[in-house]
Amino acid sequence: MRNRLVSCRIQLQLHLLSFVMNQMSKLIKDIITLVIVSTILGVSAQVVLPNGIGLRTEITVVGDDSTGVAVASVSINPNGASEAATNISLQKAYSAYENGSAIFFDARSPEEFGSGHIKAAVNLPVHAFLDSLNYLENLDFNKHIITYCDGEDCNASIDLAADLKMMGFAQVNFFFGGWQEWRDAGYPVGSKP
Amino acid sequence: MRSTVENFLASKPGKLFVRIVQIGLGLLFIYASLDKIWNPGLFAKSISNYRLLPLPLLHISAIMLPWIELICGLALVTNRYQRAAYTIIGGMLIIFILAIASAMSRGLDFNCGCFSVDSEESNMGLMKVVQNVGLLFSCVLIEYRARVVHLKQAATLD
Repeated sequence: MRNRLVSCRIQLQLHLLSFVMNQMSKLIKDIITLVIVSTILGVSAQVVLPNGIGLRTEITVVGDDSTGVAVASVSINPNGASEAATNISLQKAYSAYENGSAIFFDARSPEEFGSGHIKAAVNLPVHAFLDSLNYLENLDFNKHIITYCDGEDCNASIDLAADLKMMGFAQVNFFFGGWQEWRDAGYPVGSKP
Repeated sequence: MRSTVENFLASKPGKLFVRIVQIGLGLLFIYASLDKIWNPGLFAKSISNYRLLPLPLLHISAIMLPWIELICGLALVTNRYQRAAYTIIGGMLIIFILAIASAMSRGLDFNCGCFSVDSEESNMGLMKVVQNVGLLFSCVLIEYRARVVHLKQAATLD
């Protein structure tokens, strides 16, 4: 009698285990089905959608051997330029500032910008790039743009320059010497946020 | 307390309540996917802002994620493949919560890209974490009801 009870119990547990395994297996199959259907639709849609992008993320290395930084060429605008932005020296940046031919974008945080920046520069933190699209869309896309961040230790100016290029701005340079080089040269600065 | 909740979930009003939650969650994910499907490039930029994914995976993630949201949303609304759908959505929500928390801890402040790639959407913050935790709770509730109903049915068979 006791043996039969134990046997029944084992059978019941095996039954339960098999049920749970079946449920798990069905769940995994269903998850894979949904993911595969989504992937097929997503990939196919890129051919049809006007803003469709490629499967492969193009990686651009910006700067020379010493300043080279890998930047994802994310297709913000499919019609945007695919070539990378280039570096600009302190002298050329200053001359663009003097004759007012360029807009300076400070890629640092609002706090860093508030504590000191190139005079007349506009704060455009690289992480908040998407927040600035409305503003950027109203600018002249042929205007010369110079991006900068703190100095040679940061890459935000390069990332921002790449974003602006991808958006379709024609003349974009990053000033790799950045805020530190500008300030040390004694060129005009501002400190208001 | 626990048995009161279980009794409610097993009842007809409980069934209706969980169904409404499931449809609401589905509609929300359908809505969240549309803008990203239309602007995959901008969504890729949103993902890159988190600085968590390796660069080569940006485009493929921006292509797949919104479609997974859409298909799972449709599955929840139509009540087909619903268990797989809320399991995937639950998993994605956990990843979103960790990504937002990680971005906040690194002091990053940008549009989270949760519901759209529009710059009007509010930026990173505790509210975004709370929103996602609330949605995750909906997934847990749907699964919990399924288990309660299953156990009740098993007990009836015994």
